[in-house]
Amino acid sequence: MSAIDASYWSELQRHALASYDEALLRQVAARLVKPRNQWPAADLIERSAAAIANPVLIDRRFQDLTPPARRVLALIGHSRQPYWDLGNLVELTLALGHSDGLQPVLELLEAGMLYPGLRHPRSNKTPSSNGVSSSHPSAGPARGKLKSFEQWMAAPGPEGLLVFAPPAIAARALGEDLGLPDLSDSPAASARDTLANAAGWQETDGLEWLLRLAVLWQQVSAAPLRCTQQGEFFKRDFERLGQDALLNAAPADRLADVPDAAFLAIALAEQEGILTDSDGEWRAGPLPTVWEKGLAATLEALWTDLPRLSAWNPLDGWRGFAAQTGNPFPSAYLLAFLLLARLPEDAWVHPETIEQWILTQHPYWANESLRPSRQKPWLETFLLGVAYQLRLVQVMPPPVSPSGTGPDPEGGGWRVRLSPTGRWLLGLTEAPNLETVHTQTLLVQPNLQIIAYRQGLTSSLIARLTQFAAWEGLGAACTLQLQPETVYRALEAGQSFDSIRRTLEQHSTRGVPPAVLDSLRTWSNKRDRITVYSSATLLEFGSAEDLNEALGRGLPAARLSDRLAVAASEEAIEFRHFRLTSTRDYALPPEKCVQVEPDGVTLSVDGARSDLLLETELPRFAELIGNFSTGRRQYRLTPASLSAARAAGMTRTMLEMWFHQRAGQPLPPAARLLMTAGEAEAPHLRHHLVLHVADEEMADGLMQWPQTREWIEERLGPTALVVRQENVPALCEQLRAVGIEVGNEELGPTA
Amino acid sequence: MLNDPIRPASGARIPVKLHRRVCLVQTEDGVLAEELLARKKLAQDIVGRLTDRVLLIRPGRVEMVIQELHKMGHTPQVFHPTSPQRQQG
Repeated sequence: MSAIDASYWSELQRHALASYDEALLRQVAARLVKPRNQWPAADLIERSAAAIANPVLIDRRFQDLTPPARRVLALIGHSRQPYWDLGNLVELTLALGHSDGLQPVLELLEAGMLYPGLRHPRSNKTPSSNGVSSSHPSAGPARGKLKSFEQWMAAPGPEGLLVFAPPAIAARALGEDLGLPDLSDSPAASARDTLANAAGWQETDGLEWLLRLAVLWQQVSAAPLRCTQQGEFFKRDFERLGQDALLNAAPADRLADVPDAAFLAIALAEQEGILTDSDGEWRAGPLPTVWEKGLAATLEALWTDLPRLSAWNPLDGWRGFAAQTGNPFPSAYLLAFLLLARLPEDAWVHPETIEQWILTQHPYWANESLRPSRQKPWLETFLLGVAYQLRLVQVMPPPVSPSGTGPDPEGGGWRVRLSPTGRWLLGLTEAPNLETVHTQTLLVQPNLQIIAYRQGLTSSLIARLTQFAAWEGLGAACTLQLQPETVYRALEAGQSFDSIRRTLEQHSTRGVPPAVLDSLRTWSNKRDRITVYSSATLLEFGSAEDLNEALGRGLPAARLSDRLAVAASEEAIEFRHFRLTSTRDYALPPEKCVQVEPDGVTLSVDGARSDLLLETELPRFAELIGNFSTGRRQYRLTPASLSAARAAGMTRTMLEMWFHQRAGQPLPPAARLLMTAGEAEAPHLRHHLVLHVADEEMADGLMQWPQTREWIEERLGPTALVVRQENVPALCEQLRAVGIEVGNEELGPTA
Repeated sequence: MLNDPIRPASGARIPVKLHRRVCLVQTEDGVLAEELLARKKLAQDIVGRLTDRVLLIRPGRVEMVIQELHKMGHTPQVFHPTSPQRQQG
């Protein structure tokens, strides 16, 4: 069963039970824990969650179930995949011969053995080799309480009809008789096989899809896959994948062509978390940590991915990530493996025989109205192309004709049986030892090419090689190329020159050429020339002595200057040594920390609220004039400083924005004057004759009366009007006409 | 800026101003910093030079800066908050 921590499932179970209406919760708890008292709902949830850790209790409850329900639980147990689409479970139940496929599933839900998966499987990945999704089960949006399972089935929401059975429960169901038939060939045929082809069966190393996932990881690391709003790949990326020589190449021991092989790798990678959906792009996630645990654990992870594959199937190939209905293949895969498990030891069967059984028993294919295009054979493709390469089955080549000139035309094609790995994954036997004994399997050549002989490859070695060398050929002997980019990628992923060298030396059949080590060292050193802190914590001390004292106390930071130190993360900083005078978060908008003095050109900085950006912004357009003991530094805008700012490309708009952001006020007039005075039209000094009138009303009248208006040049103020020298006689004449005599203080009596 | 003239006694808490989530580029030497500043596309995302070797990056522009560094042929060591490596003091 899944290697996920039991506490994860317990937490998930609590989350599911908490989403039940109290009546439903009591109904489920009554069957699972059989409370004797009226316990509060919270207690019922806790006791139900604790029950799955009690195998005796689970066994008792299991025996209370009807045989069809027990079989459903056993099927989940055999699959090792706790999450199943409800439709697939119904299909499995019907295929096993039960007339009502839904009833056993409902019974399990009501018995607390099965739970609705109340989260979207895509947004919160089902458990896999990469471990549990980071988001907490209870972190999802609040939903209405579930009153009944029928209500949930009628309106399942965006999550779909997904159910899960905690592995601890499903594992107790293993061994339940599923009532499947033995489809092995006739005894006569088997005896002939034994004599003719006793040693002719084949089994792969199980690395093929692992290597393809590694190649895919490298491809996506180099260039993410972009998606349309419908969730499909952009045409260019789709073609790139479809034409990729490595991902689409046939394996060395090809038995069947896998349709859209590159896209099967995509579907598996999505399940494994190797690809992560990020803002409409599929990016490379981390390589699965389970690869470090060995081939068996890695194959187990891939095995549990099979029932969750919806984007690819052996009949259609790639179907896309968009949610689609009618995917009977997960249930058919499991039936096929379980039918193989029913074969006697050393017995073989033709894939067509199994497929025929599925076609007649599985409700999807048994449907008489099924289109002919859906009735095409697909199981041989799956078993020989996928399962064989995952080391789940062994194959027997077609028998040789009695004349020895070729395959026996009556013997049929390839036959299959479960491998020890397949039997183990179905929960039928103990885990086989899949680890290789050959550790020295690499040949590192001076031209930076690595030849990796497949018989010595392990999943952890594949993971390490994938990080620092590019796969260039897959086959019995794989080839890789060391490149600056790949080594850099490995260094960024946490490897070092020493760890890369160790890997190569440990697994090389010969010593690593000095030229290769020199290249690796050069590339590694080059990386040390520039360090980028994407989200660092900068500590600004009052003096160099304070910084020295802090470093002396073990501050995990690097010194940048005599008063500044940087820490890549503040998690390791022991804040008990420090008194925070202020804190500034650079992901937030700039803070207002500047006060404009009344003169409009002097700026006082509030040191407690200022930031490093401000300290670099101000010198661009202002001059530092002092650092005062009040904690305020002062800058002054001067014609020279603003002239320099203009020369550096600063505009009035930029300065206005800065004042709004940092001072919370518009650009002061004095600052505006200094900034824009040079751009304005040159001012003029000129003489004017000014007519001063007694009051504002008289000025208004003179400005409005056409006889006087035409001789007045402009109005300077409420009672002051400008008159040109040459217009004075004409204006005076008009004024005399209305009885106003103009006195002339400077020019003497007017004419 | 800090303006605390009083030195902390031995064992006392050291006054410090914390700048969180800062984007920085630290170069091996000043010449390399000059080279980066001379790159037009980088210069627009560099808001200041804290020291001879340390450049302050505009918030939210770090990915563009890393991309541009790659285009220049550099292979910078990138510290994300979740990076496997941790800076030693």
